[in-house]
Amino acid sequence: MTGRYGIEALNVYAGLAHIPVPALFAGRGLDPARLDNLMMRSRSVGLPFEDPVTNAVNAAGPLLDALGPGGRDGIELLVTSTESGLDLSKSVASYVHEYLGLSRNCRLLEVKQACYAATGAIQLATGYLASGASPGARALVIGTDLALVDARAGYAEPATGHGAVAVLVGDRPAVLAIDAGAFGVYSYETLDSARPTPELDIADVDRSLFAYLDCLSGSFADYRSRVADADFLATFGYLAMHTPFAGLVRAAHRKLAREHAARVATEPDFEYRVAPSLIYPAAVGNLCSGSVYLALASLLDHADLAAPARIGLYAYGSGCSSEFFSGVADAGSAAAVAAMGIGAHLAARRELSFAEYVRLLPVTLRALVPEPDRTVDLAPYQDFRQPDRRLLVHTGSKQYHRLYEWR
Amino acid sequence: MDDDEVLDTIRRTVLLVLPDLEPDLVQPQRTLTELGANSIDRAEVVSLTMETLGVDVPVAAFAGVRDIGGLAALLRRHL
Repeated sequence: MTGRYGIEALNVYAGLAHIPVPALFAGRGLDPARLDNLMMRSRSVGLPFEDPVTNAVNAAGPLLDALGPGGRDGIELLVTSTESGLDLSKSVASYVHEYLGLSRNCRLLEVKQACYAATGAIQLATGYLASGASPGARALVIGTDLALVDARAGYAEPATGHGAVAVLVGDRPAVLAIDAGAFGVYSYETLDSARPTPELDIADVDRSLFAYLDCLSGSFADYRSRVADADFLATFGYLAMHTPFAGLVRAAHRKLAREHAARVATEPDFEYRVAPSLIYPAAVGNLCSGSVYLALASLLDHADLAAPARIGLYAYGSGCSSEFFSGVADAGSAAAVAAMGIGAHLAARRELSFAEYVRLLPVTLRALVPEPDRTVDLAPYQDFRQPDRRLLVHTGSKQYHRLYEWR
Repeated sequence: MDDDEVLDTIRRTVLLVLPDLEPDLVQPQRTLTELGANSIDRAEVVSLTMETLGVDVPVAAFAGVRDIGGLAALLRRHL
């Protein structure tokens, strides 16, 4: 695709461990009747040597390596989008830049707005590229997060994910050619969910679901005000949305169908246009600002893209901010994402029992708590290593400076 | 619009979202949860009702709503 800007490459890192959601439900005594509502199979679980830096590097590293020589050329903007920040001043990006071996001629920054920020960064980066200020430039945006949930989170615990999604933006958008100027935005202040301390998530589930659906209507209406003849059914071959849990995306699709396509049979439309995007999220959990790109990867790995298709995407972040935008994908997009082997990566995670999961929590729940000096003991976790994968691991900190090694 | 019309709109919306529910069960003193609505159902009922009535109530205003009667009263205030 020429003359356009968008996603050149995309990769996901969703950790080395997972727990099946029914096992987590059983362990916590949650009501199994609510499993259907969630539409989740499994969720990724973090290990003590993982943090937002390692997740970001382990997502972006293989993406850049797969591009071969010159893969890192022209990356003059690195943005990390996270709700799992490590310092009130120093960005996660500063560490990621170091361990990805990027050029010093680069802007580094971190963005924050719950599960929305990565999309804001991608759209701003695309605008920057289209400005012509720096021909041939590329931008690397990485949504990276850790889970801080335990039993106190109730039904949110089984839906929370762990990991990162790396998105390379440039002028050879093999994965998704973003439709310039075709977007809708909708934002306002509400406290539906937040992370007020490095150890605590708070959420009003009803308020959050409501705000997600409200913003979907608002941002889609704004999209339609900018894009002549935009039609919920006819314009988009597929849809990919921010997926806190797959059941909510089903409700979101139903809402738009009711508002804009009253006669459509919603179930078959959902199965064809939306369901392929939910397969990976149902296996990983909520990846925060990376979630909609995990949904996009899932779509490209599972949908029929023999003919080019316009994809409608919806990003939502609590607090809240949202965007509906679109881009075109084709068989080349599917091939580019398939080459990253995301499905195989998810299948290679080790399954945890509920007892093993609970044993990890006292350490992993403190991952974002600032400690000037820390040593991470990697010895108990040798079983999680994957022989054919070189990964960055967090080994500790010294005087608040975080330390990492390749293993 | 009189009191009963707002309640009627809520009732019709609840039955759209929960088609197997006995219509007579949708009464002001009941909660949506009691009627079998899960979190997604509740969000859909509220948002669909607002669309039908043509009202736009800020999300924060729902904080004190305890039951269907409370929901009707809130929506009526914003007509």
